[in-house]
Amino acid sequence: MLKREVAKRVFAREFEAFRELEKSVISDSEAADSKTRNLLISPLGLILNRVFIVGVITELDSVGTLNETWKARIVDPTGAFTVYAGQYQPEASIFFSTVQIPAFIALTGKARIYEPEPGSFYVSIRAEEVNVVDEKIRIRWVVDTAEQTVERLEAFSEALASGHRGEKIRAYLLERGISSDLAEGISIALEQERSPQEFVKLLRSSIREGLRSLDFDSEGNAGSKADQKEFVLELLREMGGHSGVDYAAFVDTAISNGITYQFIDEVVRSLLAGGQCYEPKIGIIRLIS
Amino acid sequence: MDEKIVPYLEELNRERGDLEKTGISAEFNKLLAFSMPKDVAKESILSKLGGKKKVLKVKDLSANLKNFEIIGSILDLEEKTISYQDRTKEGTSKIYVGILADETGSVMFSSWKNLPGSIGDIVTIKNAYTRTWQNKIRLFIGKQCLVSKIADSSLLHLSKLSESQPKKLLDIGAADFSVGTVACVLQFSNKEVLVKGRQSRVASGVLADETGRLPFTSWIELPGIDIGSIIRIEGAQIRMFRGMPSVNIMNSTKVSSIELEEARKLAFTFESAGKDPSPMRIEEIVSKGIMFDVITAGNVISVRQGSGIISRCPECGRAIQKASCRVHGKVEGLRDMRIKAILDDGTGSISVMFPRELSEIIYGKTLEEAEKLMFSDVSKDAVYEDLRYSLTGRYIAVRGNSSKGEYGIYFVAEKAWVPEDDLVVRVVELLHRLGPDEEDGKDRNSQISSGRVGFA
Repeated sequence: MLKREVAKRVFAREFEAFRELEKSVISDSEAADSKTRNLLISPLGLILNRVFIVGVITELDSVGTLNETWKARIVDPTGAFTVYAGQYQPEASIFFSTVQIPAFIALTGKARIYEPEPGSFYVSIRAEEVNVVDEKIRIRWVVDTAEQTVERLEAFSEALASGHRGEKIRAYLLERGISSDLAEGISIALEQERSPQEFVKLLRSSIREGLRSLDFDSEGNAGSKADQKEFVLELLREMGGHSGVDYAAFVDTAISNGITYQFIDEVVRSLLAGGQCYEPKIGIIRLIS
Repeated sequence: MDEKIVPYLEELNRERGDLEKTGISAEFNKLLAFSMPKDVAKESILSKLGGKKKVLKVKDLSANLKNFEIIGSILDLEEKTISYQDRTKEGTSKIYVGILADETGSVMFSSWKNLPGSIGDIVTIKNAYTRTWQNKIRLFIGKQCLVSKIADSSLLHLSKLSESQPKKLLDIGAADFSVGTVACVLQFSNKEVLVKGRQSRVASGVLADETGRLPFTSWIELPGIDIGSIIRIEGAQIRMFRGMPSVNIMNSTKVSSIELEEARKLAFTFESAGKDPSPMRIEEIVSKGIMFDVITAGNVISVRQGSGIISRCPECGRAIQKASCRVHGKVEGLRDMRIKAILDDGTGSISVMFPRELSEIIYGKTLEEAEKLMFSDVSKDAVYEDLRYSLTGRYIAVRGNSSKGEYGIYFVAEKAWVPEDDLVVRVVELLHRLGPDEEDGKDRNSQISSGRVGFA
C-alpha cells in the first residue's frame, strides 16, 4: 500500500534547525531504500518530508536567472520560513504572482536543505499547495503546532533524562506509547545533537512567547488590528518624521504601549515590503510619505 | 547451481523460508534466463511476494492482504473436490477448507494443498493471503505457502478458542468467523429484501458499546428487540457490506435480552453508548484502517482532481466520462457534485469523500450555483479551481466511516462542520505544560503581551 507522506506541523524555530537524515542510520530497511524520499530530522527527533504551515507572508521576490522562481518569507510566532515555488510548481507560482502582501496563508510543501559550504545550512520549503486563509485558521495552526511540538519536547526530555541510548531508548519510548517513527527519530537525534538541552530551552521559550502573542478577541479582531497598525504608523511619524527613527528605540516605545514585538515587526515588514518606508542605514527606519 | 547467485538466494531464503519447496529458486532462475540483473531479480521476487515479512493475528486480517505469516489452531477441516474447466483441460482438484483460530478470533480458510496437521493441531502458515469471498474475508493458503505443525504452548487452549468469546465491538476483526458480544441497539429498522428469489424480512441497524459501534444485519426475526435493547449475541458471523464489517445474525446465532439486573453491571448504558463518539486523531484511524462511525478533524491540505461537478450513470450511479458508463455504455448522465480532499492533522492523512449535500455546505455553493460558474467560464476546471481556492488550508471536522483502499485510507463523510472548540483552554494547558518562564528576564515582550491577551 502506498502511504501518503503526512504533513507535519512544525514552528519556524524548529524548522530552521532541521538537518539531512543520513539514510544509513535508519534501521528500517524499507525506509533506507535508495528510492525513498529525502528526509530531514530535527534536533528533537522529528523526521519529516512534508510540512503544513500557516503564517503571514511578509516578503516576496522573484529570483533565478529569468526571474522564474518565487521566493517568499512566511512568518509564524517563532520565526520565518523561506518558501520557493518554481516552474515545476506552476499552481503555487501563479498564487504568488497574484497574492497581496501581507496576508495569512496556508501552505503545504516539501522540506529542502541546501549546504553551500560545510557548516552553513539553508532549510526551505518547496511549495505544493498554497491558499489565503483567515486569522482563525492561523490561531488554530499555532495551537495545534504548539501541542504537537510540546508532545515531542516532553518525549525528548524524558528520553534525555532516562540516560538510555540506541536500541534501548527506542524500546523505552515505545513502552511509553510514543509512535515508532518518533522513537526512531529521537534515538538518532540523541546521537547527533551536541547540546540538546540548549535547543529544548530555546524552543520552549519561543513557543511560550508565541502562544501568549495570540489574539483571541476574534470578533473585534480586524478592527483592533487595524487600530494597532494605525497606532504603529502614527508612532513612526511622531518619533522620526522624515529624518528616520532608531528601530530599537521605536520598538521599546511601542512595546511599552502594549503592542507585541511580533506585531511591530509584522507592520514594519509590510511597510518595507510595500515600499512605504525604507532603511537608509541599518537600524534606522524612515517613512516615505 | 551457479556459485554467483548463491548469496542472493540465501538472502531470499532468510526472508522467505524454504526456497525449493516454494518454487522461489525456480522463479529466480527464470528471471535470470531473461538476463535480468541479480539484485533486480531479487527485488522483484520480494516485491511480488509483498515486501517485508509480517506476522499477523486473526483480528488484523482485512481484504486483499498478501504474504503474511499467521499462527493458529485448526478448528475444522474438510476436503472438497472441485471440478474445473479451462481452455486446455478439464479435471478435478482437491481443496481443503476449514477454520483457523488464535486468541484474537477465528477465520475461514481455503487451502490448495494438503495441510500437515488435522483438527486440533497448531500450524504456522507462511506466505498466506486473503480475499473477499462471498462477502466474507477468507484466508487462502496457496501453492507457495509453507505450512508447518508446531507445538506452541503460548496459544490458548483449544476448547477456549472454539467457543465464541464475548468481545468488545472494537476488538471484532473484519475476518471473524464466529463472534459473541454484548451491546446496545442504537438504530433498528426492518425491510423486505429478495434472498435467493424469496421475499424475506431482514432487520438492520447499529450496535454500540463503550468501545465503539458496528452495523448489524439480522436474517432472522428478533422478537421483542428494538432501539434501546441491550442484547447478548453468540455465534454471529462477520460479513463485509460496502467495505464495512457488519455483524450478521443467522439461524445459528443465539440472541437474548440482558436482564435489568445484569445491565447495571455493564460499562455502558443506552445513554452513554448513544452519545456522539469522541474525536480521534487521524493517526488512530490510519492504524486501524476500517472504522465505523468516527469523528476526526484536520486541515484540507489538498483538493483532489475529480472534485466538483461530475456526471453519473443513471443505471448504476458510477461517475462517467464523455457520456459513457464503463458498464452501461452511452448514457444520459445525471449531474452531481462531490469533493475529494486530503485531510491532515499532522499525525496522519486520509482521503475524505464529501457527497453532494456536504459539498454544498462546506463549499458554500449549491450544485446549481456551481453549474452557473461552470457555464460562465471558458476553463473547464472553473469549479475545481474555485473549490481549491475556497477549501485549501481550511480546518474541517468530519463524521463517517473509514475503509482501506489501494492508496491509503478512504473516509466517507456523513457529516461535516467547522469545529468551534475552545482554543483558549488548550493554550492555558499548553503554557502550564511548558512550565514557568526562565528567570533570566528575557521574556519581557511576552509578559507585556500576555497582559493584553488577558488569560495567561
